[in-house]
Amino acid sequence: MVLLLSALLAAAPAVSDKPPADLPACPSGSETPDVAALMKRTETVLEGRSMVAVMTMGIKTPSYERSVKMKLWTKGRDFALVKVLEGGPRETGMMTLKREKQLWNYLPQAGRVMKLPSGMMGDSWMGSDFTNDDLVHGSSISNDFTSSVDKTVEHEGRKAWFVTLKPRPEAKTVWGRVEMLLDRQSCIPLEERFYDEDGALARRMAFSDLQKVGWRTFPMKMTVTPAEAGRQTTISYAQLELDGEVPDDTFSLRRLQQGKE
Amino acid sequence: MLLSLAWRNVWRNARRSLITMSALGVGVAGIVSIFSFREVANEAIVSDVTAGLVGHLQVHALGYQEAPSVGLTVQHPLQVEATLERVLPGAKAERRVIGAGLAGAGDRSAPVMVLGLEPGASALYTVKDGAGLGAGKDVLVGKDLATDLGVAVGGELVLVSQAADGSVANDRYTVAGTFESSSAELDGNAIAMSLSEAQSFFALGDGVHQLVVRLPTQREDVQPEAQALRAALDLKTLEAVSWSEMLPQMKASMEQKRKNQGFVDFIIFLIVGLGVFNAMTMAVFERTRELGVLAALGTRPRRILAMVMLEALWQGAMAFVVGVALAAAILYALGTSDLSKMLGGDVMGVRMPTHLELKLLPASLKGAAITAFLTALLGALLPALRAMRLQPVEALRQS
Repeated sequence: MVLLLSALLAAAPAVSDKPPADLPACPSGSETPDVAALMKRTETVLEGRSMVAVMTMGIKTPSYERSVKMKLWTKGRDFALVKVLEGGPRETGMMTLKREKQLWNYLPQAGRVMKLPSGMMGDSWMGSDFTNDDLVHGSSISNDFTSSVDKTVEHEGRKAWFVTLKPRPEAKTVWGRVEMLLDRQSCIPLEERFYDEDGALARRMAFSDLQKVGWRTFPMKMTVTPAEAGRQTTISYAQLELDGEVPDDTFSLRRLQQGKE
Repeated sequence: MLLSLAWRNVWRNARRSLITMSALGVGVAGIVSIFSFREVANEAIVSDVTAGLVGHLQVHALGYQEAPSVGLTVQHPLQVEATLERVLPGAKAERRVIGAGLAGAGDRSAPVMVLGLEPGASALYTVKDGAGLGAGKDVLVGKDLATDLGVAVGGELVLVSQAADGSVANDRYTVAGTFESSSAELDGNAIAMSLSEAQSFFALGDGVHQLVVRLPTQREDVQPEAQALRAALDLKTLEAVSWSEMLPQMKASMEQKRKNQGFVDFIIFLIVGLGVFNAMTMAVFERTRELGVLAALGTRPRRILAMVMLEALWQGAMAFVVGVALAAAILYALGTSDLSKMLGGDVMGVRMPTHLELKLLPASLKGAAITAFLTALLGALLPALRAMRLQPVEALRQS
């Protein structure tokens, strides 16, 4: 999740066509790479100064299966806007605005904006396996976790580092431990496994469809599988533009209230 | 002859007998009042539960009771209602949609319970301000929720939730009125709308979450009806649950109070019994000579035993009558009891009744009779046995 957020709500400074000068190289050949540098690189690659994307979110549960097409704008970690392009009849045109730690929803059927109370941050976002909190947290692996490369493994035909992340005592995270399989070639995660505080696997997140986007290699598909049987949420990017210019008033509450993106 | 002898003996030491009888009488009155009070309160709770949100029984989609979810609905509720009327004559069924959502008005928002109710199903609440439940986009708001959201009659309300098909249900409603109910949970969280509007909001089609069944009975135990209903339903897709299964803690707490009363009864029994024992021991001791004379004259030991026991029984009988009368007087004098201070708030979503119509329940007399007569008998047993075993010669020698 942490990386998804990072991907959704990008932050690190970068230039659009070439990697930032201080970006460490991907230490593909090393069995025991410098883990701090590795994490910083991963974050920088997955995050951007800004993001404009069109994506499809597929939600599968035991009782229904549906998909929602959305457009996403982000700027740094603090600002994000999601607009439903195609969804159920009452949700097409729905928008979710994140400004720092707060969320507002524009409800197209009601034609009104509603601020999400803090007590509902843990609830599912649009029925998916992402919570509202996932959207706003904008947390960072290097800030919240201490990491260590435990071993090298083979994952679906690719060589990967097995990284264990433990939350720092002061970190606000619900996870007791996170395991990450990091592709040695691209330094992009292939899979993350989130364990709760009792050590039980709570959800898995797989990254696939690695593609070149500008100077980056980027996972164009993410699959979240929670422990709850029969559920899965996938996000696939149809269009993705990183580090471009996004005007500030994209994230204006006033515009949201007028139902404008 | 023995009876009148025993009766006279009661009044030989009138003061002592009166004290003994007072203790017995107060014990009886205590047991009767506590029993009646508790059972009246239980009855009130049961009738509150069964007339309110819960009902006597409910029919759900299988698994709903265990894990309620917006998608778990009874698909053909009218068909189920027909079955119900056939199996349980006189029972009334009410279709209900119940879902969670978020309500917003202006800058404020709050998590709410959305109720879709059949028209006329107003037993749940009374309209405080504004009109009753209409059709379409008119909703009623619990009075405390209305305060929290800062909405009044005529105001606008936005609701958002997740529909059964997973989509985001959202719409705008007009506050037609505010209501109050016997449940603080409803007053503080609930929004009521017409059944059909709730079905369309949650994308349920004809489905409902609950079929609330009200039986033409005041009985606490409705398991026979639940069994009968289960036998007639398709248990592969449906479940029938009784109120005590939906509120097991409430049922358990009622049972616990009954058990506790057994303990209180025993303590009262013990204290009063020791009092009787003491009094009868004294009575026998004082009359040792006299009992010796009776024995010397050839009175059979068994008759002496019976005489002493009967003396205690007389006292028990009088104490019983006086005690019951006292309890009736106490209950009548209290009349209605205001419990709002004692039982402020809710127990498991059901607001405890604040006013009880107290009355003496015939069922309470059993425990009281047992206390009065059994304590009298047991308390008198040892002294009576001693009286029976007195040797005439030794008894007469005592001055």
